[in-house]
Amino acid sequence: MKYSLILLFSILLSSAFAQQKQFTVDERGKYVHYEVVETKVGKDSLVSRAERFIKSNKKSFTKSTKTDSSVTSNGKMIIDKTILVASHPSGEVNYVFNFEAREGKYRYWITDLEYIPYNRNRYGNYVATTNIATPLEKAPGKLSAGTWKDILESVYSKATSLGENFKKTLATVQVENQPKKAQSISTKKW
Amino acid sequence: MKKLLSAIFGMACTTCALAQETPTSPLEFSGSVDTYYKYDFAKRPNIPTSFVSDHNSVSLGMLDLVLKKKTGKASFVGEISFGPRGQSQSIPDAAANGSSFHIQNLYVNYDFSDKFAMTAGYMGTFIGYEVISPVGNFNYSTSYLFTNGPFQNAGIKATYKFSDKVSLMAGLFNDWNLYSATRGVSSVGGQLMISPVEGWTAYINALTGADPYGYGTIVDLTTSYQITKAFKLGLNAANYDMADDAGGYAGVALYPQVAVADAVTLGLRGEYFKNKDVGATPGTAYTGLTLTANIKSGGLTFIPEVRLDHNGDKPFLNKTGGAAPNAGQFSLAAVYAF
Repeated sequence: MKYSLILLFSILLSSAFAQQKQFTVDERGKYVHYEVVETKVGKDSLVSRAERFIKSNKKSFTKSTKTDSSVTSNGKMIIDKTILVASHPSGEVNYVFNFEAREGKYRYWITDLEYIPYNRNRYGNYVATTNIATPLEKAPGKLSAGTWKDILESVYSKATSLGENFKKTLATVQVENQPKKAQSISTKKW
Repeated sequence: MKKLLSAIFGMACTTCALAQETPTSPLEFSGSVDTYYKYDFAKRPNIPTSFVSDHNSVSLGMLDLVLKKKTGKASFVGEISFGPRGQSQSIPDAAANGSSFHIQNLYVNYDFSDKFAMTAGYMGTFIGYEVISPVGNFNYSTSYLFTNGPFQNAGIKATYKFSDKVSLMAGLFNDWNLYSATRGVSSVGGQLMISPVEGWTAYINALTGADPYGYGTIVDLTTSYQITKAFKLGLNAANYDMADDAGGYAGVALYPQVAVADAVTLGLRGEYFKNKDVGATPGTAYTGLTLTANIKSGGLTFIPEVRLDHNGDKPFLNKTGGAAPNAGQFSLAAVYAF
């Protein structure tokens, strides 16, 4: 009985923590995924690595601007709707990715998140059928509340994942990709 | 023979090797289900456009299932439907007594580059504003332009994207709405897409060659413009001329839609449609006005609709079965997309 109560308490606690996984808001009232990271990497290297991250994800990022200590880029993430094990795109979220570096630390934040729904077109492909984007902060009506909650959770998860990948890139020494030499076997010596 | 087998084996190995280097998307699965109730004011099926046929009956639309997969630059789409809208009321399956199913899309696509792609198979037609799937339409009933135009085209087409604002498609097709050609690959078609400003897209389409009635040429303009966040305007205009003055049709439909709440949009379809003269037989003209609401909750869309049609030649029926110039109906549909 005691163990059952502990188990029940653990489940409730974990679900309570799960519910806390949501965006915080900035001073403008906009959702933001914000993080400050301490590092031993120099400022110039950080900016260079941030640029590398943007370039290596060119399908996700469009136009970028750069200064000697910052990089800003417009990004897009595709939101999927999952049915059992299969899924399909249900919309896209456009956002602004900001990065600033100082000696010994950097910060990045993802904000200005706006959702554009996809619809299936006549060829069976999911495409944006409107250019009207809805800010994620806008509370939907009761009829769409459930769908909106799913979208928010999915965006939060993808923004967190994007942040983790970004941090990995900034912690990694840049190595130029050199073409690997094809392995060859000498048939003369044996 | 050995050389041939070696060549095939070599090609297969190369294909596998190339395939391993390209990213693979997960299998996409989606679809829809729809059902409706319709009450015709003449108490009998009356308006001769596609689908929504049954009077005073809770009736079925179709179950539509779509699979898509992309591996590197190659992809396929397979879409199949079951139910009256996708079986007995679809053109290919009606010819087979409506007893099996209807392929909506079955094609393969290869992206040679970000700009150039080729597609081959059986595809939803590139002509017109409305489509078979209720998920793709705002109104639940369909227009005369939709009913009389092509539903699907089997063929091979190439699309070149000059930019996000301009693309061009050209292709060779079988006769309309057939899984396999009866008169060979007998049609040539093309589509110019332009997007002059953000939110406005226009398609200028042309298709000439064999059709279910003979040979003819159809020219079509399909466009929609999201003018404000709440207001969208769509337009479809088409002209179809059959060879040897054997008739054809011309028409225009306007689709204004206004979002009155987050989940509620009201829309009107106003249509003028004329069948052309065939020899000494004069053509006949229809006008139609359809008021539709879309009420969305998650994947479900409720579609209440009132439709009033007019034709001075009295092709409709009244309550007693006599000829009438006007016809009207109310319908309530539920469409679930997943």
